[in-house]
Parts: sequence; structure tokens; C-alpha cells
Amino acid sequence: MLSRAAESLFWMSRYIERAENTARFLDVNFHLLLDLDKIAEVDNGNYWEPLIRVTDDQERFLALHSEFNAQTVSDFLVFNRANPNSILSCIAIARENARSVIETIASEMWEQINWLYHFLNGANREVLQRDPYNFYREIKNASHLFQGITDATFSRNEGWDFVQAGRYLERADNTSRLVDVKYHLLMQAHNASPEPIDNIQWMAVLKSCSALEAFRKVYLSRIEPQTVVQYLVLDREFPRGIYFCVMMLQESLWQISGSRRRAYTNNADRLVGKLEAELNYTSIEDIFQVGLHTWLEDLQKKLIRIGEQVYQTYFAYHAPANPDTLVAGRVSNPVYDGVGAGRSVRAVWSEIERRQQQQQQQ
Amino acid sequence: MLTHDHRLRLFDQYDPQISRFFDEMFNLDGMVREHYRTLLSRFNNLNDADLEACKQIVNVFFLNQGITFTVYGADEGVERIFPFDIVPRIVPATEWGLVERGLTQRITALNLFLHDLYHDQKILKDKVVPAELVLGSRHFRREFMGVNPPLGVYIHITGTDIIRDGQGNYMVLEDNLRCPSGVSYMLQNRQVMKRAFPRLFADYRVRPIEDYPQELSRVLQEIAPAGLEDPSIVLLTPGIFNSAYFEHSFLARQMGIELVEGHDLVVSDNKVFARTTRGLKRVDVIYRRVDDDFLDPLVFRSDSMLGVAGLVNAYRAGNVALANAVGTGVADDKVIYSFIPKIIKYYLGEEAILPNVPTYLASEKADLRYILDNLDKLVVKAANESGGYGMLVGPHSTAEQREEFARKVVAEPRNYIAQPTIALSRHPAFASDNSFIGCHIDLRPYVLYGKKVSIVPGGLTRVALKPGSLVVNSSQGGGSKDTWVLYD
Repeated sequence: MLSRAAESLFWMSRYIERAENTARFLDVNFHLLLDLDKIAEVDNGNYWEPLIRVTDDQERFLALHSEFNAQTVSDFLVFNRANPNSILSCIAIARENARSVIETIASEMWEQINWLYHFLNGANREVLQRDPYNFYREIKNASHLFQGITDATFSRNEGWDFVQAGRYLERADNTSRLVDVKYHLLMQAHNASPEPIDNIQWMAVLKSCSALEAFRKVYLSRIEPQTVVQYLVLDREFPRGIYFCVMMLQESLWQISGSRRRAYTNNADRLVGKLEAELNYTSIEDIFQVGLHTWLEDLQKKLIRIGEQVYQTYFAYHAPANPDTLVAGRVSNPVYDGVGAGRSVRAVWSEIERRQQQQQQQ
Repeated sequence: MLTHDHRLRLFDQYDPQISRFFDEMFNLDGMVREHYRTLLSRFNNLNDADLEACKQIVNVFFLNQGITFTVYGADEGVERIFPFDIVPRIVPATEWGLVERGLTQRITALNLFLHDLYHDQKILKDKVVPAELVLGSRHFRREFMGVNPPLGVYIHITGTDIIRDGQGNYMVLEDNLRCPSGVSYMLQNRQVMKRAFPRLFADYRVRPIEDYPQELSRVLQEIAPAGLEDPSIVLLTPGIFNSAYFEHSFLARQMGIELVEGHDLVVSDNKVFARTTRGLKRVDVIYRRVDDDFLDPLVFRSDSMLGVAGLVNAYRAGNVALANAVGTGVADDKVIYSFIPKIIKYYLGEEAILPNVPTYLASEKADLRYILDNLDKLVVKAANESGGYGMLVGPHSTAEQREEFARKVVAEPRNYIAQPTIALSRHPAFASDNSFIGCHIDLRPYVLYGKKVSIVPGGLTRVALKPGSLVVNSSQGGGSKDTWVLYD
């Protein structure tokens, strides 16, 4: 398929997944705070600031707001168009990507993402304070519906594999960030509070990944930091767990390249195979020995490198060869910051190109 | 007489203003025309709730499908639905027969004209068309002299704008020979009408238009470089910000061909390839919706970010076919337009079946005088503009606008023409307050030309929805309605 079409499908999928996960973050944080308020004096700001930190958007946020609280943070993460990772921005970019491959996806897929965009764009911002539960649920459901429609209508071809690869790469990254921020949030609360942390907070973490019920089936009621992390990071069966996502990502990438196990044909395959093997043989003790935060950060870097290699292998074809045209032209490459902490972003169309596109008409 | 039904029926208040305009639905005596009789009674029997329901179906249909257009220069996120009017325009078989014959004649002649211009230029040597008008046209591409497009066809897709004057005569207003758009609206309008008024279709024998994409696909296959059994065809779009992007994607999907942007194509060894995840793949036919100027930065505008470097050479080498061919714009120039009856006569020896609108050329001394003296009565148009831009509608203009145009016309007479303000025919349209008002309309049928000329029975009827407005372009507040061509 066209490199550009593959790239658009990949990013469409990533951005929808990202929007859904942000909705999950916010929803759970909101409820966690309701619970925490009962057990300790909680300075709200401390519990909202990490949400910005986890998405690497501190600078952009502080340019707009001076204070971290429920209102500023959720508005920034949901509606702010200046924040490329806000839910509205994600859906807008996902929609533009979908639009640019509109002839390869089913019209139902397009209608769904188009609906979600209009839903968000037309939403009253007060809904975040008034009825956050239903609002976030609507977003999650819309994303699930989109994935369901995709599953039911998309031919199982290369395009499908790019959709899957995008979804699982993004989800692995998002889950790692969620685990990271929640873990620290809870440890912080733990240190500050004379009371031991009870199950409620860990349940909230699991809930944000829709993992609570599945977790209970495996671990019954033993909700402890180790088991929760074990489950969200290393479980082989849970579909939002990191290891599971990496397995699926590997599956899709190998499907695309036609590689068989242990016989990789490109760097994307090699890196994903390496990561899968690593996770396969990692124990929860290994992780805590390195330190959860450090370990997760390292994982995020590896995921970003896989993304870079997918780009190099399948999409880079149409990157302008001449650096001069790159400046004036369309910056279509995802921007990787190389440090590993940032989230990959699909850049958009330049103003000149936009204008030229608009000029053609009869 | 008091009937048991006190409710005012919808059309009772409609004023066709027959003394001033030709109304498509009502004749000079104010009586409904035969072919609209059933429609009238159907609509008269609708109550407000029915109408609301219909409007709802229509709005949801267009918004969900993303059939919106972006208003240029407006803030991000402003998208509007292309307004759709639920009252269909009905064209009886005899009238359509005239349009069809007229268009076939006109397109045949225009194609011969283009072939001649890019080869022997006999028509210029015979002084039927002044050579300086052609050679000085911005759209004349001397790079294509002597190039032979497949089948000798230049204009594979045409969207001719047809109007009816105060007496109901069909006339050609503009020949759009470059990249005419709007055909997707024709198809979508039909689809939504079937959803909203299924029973009405049962009352009429409406000719189907749904096979347009297949017909277009057939033409694109026919023009593939010689000897190719199963050519690889793509549609080249400027990209998602183009107001017709929806149409490009729609047509690509309907035809099952790849939708590409300039970035997706690369020329190597005078052959065109698409960049795919598995390397380069050969392309044989390009239905391009990018203007000549932007097609190839090596030959035309070097700052184009929409084109493909080397495409023109590949085309000249005969390794790829383009629809439409390069250089067709010279024949839909509004100055050349005024010569088309002579062009038809010259190549076919026939009188034009569909007349032109009388046209004054600012480049002619006598005409220029007349134009300047009558700016308040005329419509003045820039010869090379389209989409309703660069145009002055005299009777609706201010003194400043007229002065501004007078200056422009004098400065660049070759670039301006003027036409009398035609009272375009009117058609009832459904207004937001659930009443019917008369709105001016035109008609854009789509003509395909491969091995032969074919026209899908129908077209896009555009409506000037602003009360009193004569401009039907979507960029200027126009809308559209379904067009029903009836069987005999």
C-alpha cells in the first residue's frame, strides 16, 4: 500500500488510542481524588501536576496556567487545541489522518471518528466539572466503537496490520506512563499519610485500565503494589498490559514484513523482537531492583525507537530528500526528541501547502 | 370556499413572480407544469413534522458522511454542510435530449479545437479565432505542441455550466474543461433524496445516474498507454484541505482506485511510480484534480508542493496518461468562449445547438466602450478565474465596486469579458421557515469522453439560496438540489 496511507492509518490508530487513554487517566484521577479526600488532607495540585508531567507537557501547560488543579489540568488535557496531546487535538489529527485515507477505510469508520470529533468540538467545557464520568465514558465508548467497527469492517491486509501496530505501540507507551504516574502518586500519598494505603487506590489504578475484574480473577483480592504492577506490565493475557501490547505489536510488524520468528528482516522487527524477549524473561523483582520509574522510562525509550524504525522502514520513502524543501514544505515525519521521555507526534501540514491545496478548484 | 382543511398548503403562498422570471415549476399562467404536478401534490400534503423529519435526515446524512466544506480564511474548525435543497429539479426527456445533443456537439468541437491548437493551428491560420488570443492565453501550453494524447482526446471530463434565460432557453454559460468538480454532490444528492422521499421516486420514472463512477473508470481505462490490459489508475488530489477533497476520495473509493497526493508519486526514467510500503509501483493513468500550474514543479510553477517532478516528461513520452490532458484551459478561457459557435461551425459545419450567452470582449474597442458605459447592467468576469471569484454583478454592485472593476478592465482588457445579466430561471426552494421561495438555479451536467462522448442523465443543479442572488457557487453561499431526468 502507499507509504503515506500506511502512515496515516498508523497515526490515526495511535491518536485514537492516545485520546482514549487520556480520558482514562482523567476519569480515574477524578475518582481517586474523591476517595483520597476521605482519608487524608490532600493538596489537589499535587495530584493533578503528575498528569501533565506524564504527558511531557509542563512547558506548554505553564505557558497557559499558573496552577495545577482539576479545572486547569482537565481543560488542558481535553479541550486545549494548543496542546497537541489534548483529547480534542488527538481526535482532530486522527480525523485528518482518517480523511487522508478515507477511500481505504469503511465509511462507518469515518463516520464514527467524524462523529466523535463533532461531539468534542461542540461540547460545553463545563461538562468536565459537571458530569465528568459520563463525558469520559462517552469518549472511551466512542474509541471502543471505532475499534469494533474497524475489527468488523477492515480487510485483513497490510493496512489492518498498521492499524494494529499503531494501536498497540501507543497503548504500551500509555500504560507504562499510567503505571508510572499512579505508582508515584500513591507512594507519595502513602508517605504523607499516617494511614496505610488501602485497596481503594490500587483498585483505581486497575480500573483506569479496565483491569480490576480481570485482575481479581487472577489474584483474587490480593491487591498490592507488586501484584498490580506485575499484572499491568508483565501479564501475557491482559489486553491493556504492556507485555501483551508488545506481543501484539510484534505480531503485526512481523505480519507486515513477512518475517518469521528469529529471522528478522529489518530493524523494526529486530527491536520489537528484542523487547518481547526481554519482557518475556523479566520478573517483577528485576523491575523493582532497577526501580520502577527508571525501568519504565527505559521501556518508553525502547518503544520510541521501535516507532522510529517503523517510520524508517515503511514511511520514510516520501520524506523530502532536500533539507531546503523540508523547511518550506510539509513536515510529515513524526518528530522524535530522541531523549525518550517525549511522546511521538505526527506533524501536520504547512501553511503554504494548505493554501496551495485550497487554490485548486473549478 | 371553506374546506374542512384549514391548514394552508405549502405551495399556496409560493410566488413564482412569472412576470419577471422563468419558473421551472409554474408556467406563464401560474399553473403548475405537467411534469411537476405529482411533486406539487406530494409536497402540499406534507405537514411541518414531515418536513422537519426530512430536513433531519438530510442534515444527519451530510454531516455524518463528512460532506462539509471548509470556508476559506475562516477559523480552524469551521466546517459547513454544503446546503442541500429538498425540492428536486425535474427535466423532461425532450429537454434533456436537447441538452445532450448540444453538449455532445460542443465537446466534440472543443476537442477538435484543442487538437488543432496543439498541432497545425489551422483555425488560427484561417483567422476564425484570433491567434493572439490563443497564443497569449495563460492556459496555452506551448510545451505540448505536437504531443498526441491517447485516442486524440484532451477533455475526458467536462462539467459544462448551463442556464435557462427568461424565456426558458437552455444556454451554455461556461465550459469547465480543466478539473470540474461537483459530481460527487450529484451522486450524494440522489442518495439522500431516495432516503428522504422514497415514495416520490415511485411516482416518477427517474433515469439513474449511479453508474457515473463506472463510466468514468471505463474512460480512464480506455486512455491507458497503448497495449495495457489492466492499467494501474490513480486519482491525484491536492490534499485534504482542498474543498473538493471529499469528492476525490469518494470517486477513488467508488472506482476502487488509489487516491494519491503529489508526494506519493515519483518519476524515474520517464516512468511514474507510487511509493508504497513495499517499494515503487508503476502508475499508468492519472485522473488528476490538480491544476496544470501545480502539476510539475520542473515545468510549471516551481514552488508547487502538490505536483510531481518529471511528470510532464513522462506524459510526453507516452508512459502515463493524464485526464484531463495538459493545456485544456486554453479552450475554457472566457474570451475564447465567445468564439465557440464559430468553432463548432468551423470543425463540424453545424450551427450550435445550445447557444452562448452574448459576450462582450474588453479587448475589442467597441465592446470595451459598451462595457464601461453599462457596468451597472452587466456581469463582468475575469477570463481566467473560476468559482465565482473575480466577478462583478452589475445590478447588485456598489459604485466603488464598479469603479474598481472599470480600472481593472482598462488596465488588462484581454483578461475581462462582460455579459448581460441573465435572469436565470428560478425554482422553488425550501426555506428555513418552512415556506417555499423562488431561487435562481443553473445546471452542471458531466460529460465523459473516451472512445466516445457519454453523458450521465442528470447533473448538479446549483441553487443561489441567498434571496435574489444570482451566484450559485458554493464558495458564495450557493447550495444544490437533486436533478431528475425523466424517461420518455
